[in-house]
Amino acid sequence: MANKKNFEWQKALIYIVPSLIVLFIIAIYPTIHAIWSGFWDYHLHRPDEWVFVGFQNYLKLFLDSRFVSSIGTTFLFTFVSVAGTMVFGFLMALLFQKSFKGKNTALALLTIPMVMAPVVSALIWRVFFFEPDVGIVNWLLSLIGISGPYWVSSSPWALVAAITVNVWFMTPFVMLIMEAALSGLPDETIEAAMIDGAGYWKRVWHIIIPLLKGTIIFTLIFRITIDYRMFDIVYTMTRGGPAFDTELLSLWVYNVALRTFQMGYANAGAVVMMILIGITCLLIVLPVIRKKGELT
Amino acid sequence: MSRPGKLNKANIFEMLRLLLIVIVVFVVLFPVIWVLLASFKSPGDLMRVPPVIIFEPTLINYDVVAREGFLFYFRNSAIVAITSVALSLLVGVPAAFGLSRFSIKGIGGIMLYVLSVRFMPYIIFALPLFFLMSRLGIIGTHGGLIFVYIIISLPIVIWLMKSFFDSVPRYIDEAAALDGASQFRVFWQIVLPCALPGLATVTILSLIFAWNEYLFALILSGRDAQTLTVGLTRFLGGMETAVRWGMLSAWSIAVITPVVLMALLVNRQLRRGFTSIAGD
Repeated sequence: MANKKNFEWQKALIYIVPSLIVLFIIAIYPTIHAIWSGFWDYHLHRPDEWVFVGFQNYLKLFLDSRFVSSIGTTFLFTFVSVAGTMVFGFLMALLFQKSFKGKNTALALLTIPMVMAPVVSALIWRVFFFEPDVGIVNWLLSLIGISGPYWVSSSPWALVAAITVNVWFMTPFVMLIMEAALSGLPDETIEAAMIDGAGYWKRVWHIIIPLLKGTIIFTLIFRITIDYRMFDIVYTMTRGGPAFDTELLSLWVYNVALRTFQMGYANAGAVVMMILIGITCLLIVLPVIRKKGELT
Repeated sequence: MSRPGKLNKANIFEMLRLLLIVIVVFVVLFPVIWVLLASFKSPGDLMRVPPVIIFEPTLINYDVVAREGFLFYFRNSAIVAITSVALSLLVGVPAAFGLSRFSIKGIGGIMLYVLSVRFMPYIIFALPLFFLMSRLGIIGTHGGLIFVYIIISLPIVIWLMKSFFDSVPRYIDEAAALDGASQFRVFWQIVLPCALPGLATVTILSLIFAWNEYLFALILSGRDAQTLTVGLTRFLGGMETAVRWGMLSAWSIAVITPVVLMALLVNRQLRRGFTSIAGD
């Protein structure tokens, strides 16, 4: 038995090893390097002068109000974006559930914004929609007598604008996932509930959502991790400003590393960022695993 | 139930639903349509408030884009995206086969790690790679960026190809093995052809992600390997300089056209790919 297992490993190794080597160089090694250099102090342009500082970087992080508020901003951004995309995406999927003529075309059209570079989407929104003087949003607001704010450069509005763009960008993703899951549901259970006389929303709440629980949890994790590491959309729209209002964690690490050149400190921040998302994912997944008693 | 053409409650609801669908699709597409229109507007028409929908189209913006070195960036993006995806396929497809076909201990762990790379904050890789690459002197080279971009596509390739290989029944390889085919021939000539549609989906999906990438390109592409997404943000203007609207629109349209065409061409498979990356 043990021999057979060894033999299987040997055969499999030839196929798997190249990928493992590549993964080691581009993912595992950088992660280790980030953790390691989080204990050191060094300047971007003086990469040979490393000073060991131990846990001082981490201590500094939690006394650094800019970093702490960056965590808060990231959580707020992620929470609102995920909630928004999940609700809108699910409602859209319900709308599309029953087949109609042209459904395929409609779904195809919905994939267009999804495949666009996030940078392009963010630019379009920033320049054509949120521009204070000639942007569409303020023009529409002026029609109902409101003078709109300086979106990307004024205080709560920059974050509102960034979340809006993100929700617009990500909702079709959620919609497609939910739509695929909905069309895979057994018709009988839903019909049975219909005969019981349950109203539409009651059916959605008591039957469809529980049936989609697995999909919903997986989508949640997918959405949370993607929004949590958000860089391109927000960076393109606001660069993290005004002040540090929209400085998400990825932007914080980028700004600290490439603007103030404190590489060790930036890496320590990145490590904290990684740990926080790891814990978050575990908190979501663990109850599910415990219930099912197995992984995937 | 409800007869067509008759105005009863069910029919009204159905009409409302279709109307809502049209509105939703329009809202989702509106920004894209808007930029497409803007890219054909003359500078005067661009600044008009309220915005104009009917105008005399002009190609001047595309002309400027071409003169601003669009092809240089396009070439960089294409080289980096295509080569990195090719390399990912080269190492990732056999790995997916191995993970699908051999029942070995630790597969769950490997798959979970591969998946976690896909969802890890990329910034944690970016700084150490910057350090490593500047040591090697490959910042701003195609080669360096190609290698880094494998981070994006390899997890997609391994994860999706494994699920495609899993769906090819194993008795096919067993039959071939009985006929004396070697393990590698089973993979290359029997199982891989069965998973060819999957391979196409994975390729296009990876190409799209690589084409759209921004963070690594921003940090690691230097001047000589700058990609389209990094090139685009030059037109944003700083706090002092004005936004160059027309060029920005034309550039945006030119960036998204190849991916949108690919996406529409193989839309059904692409949708399945997108949803299974998150939902499989």
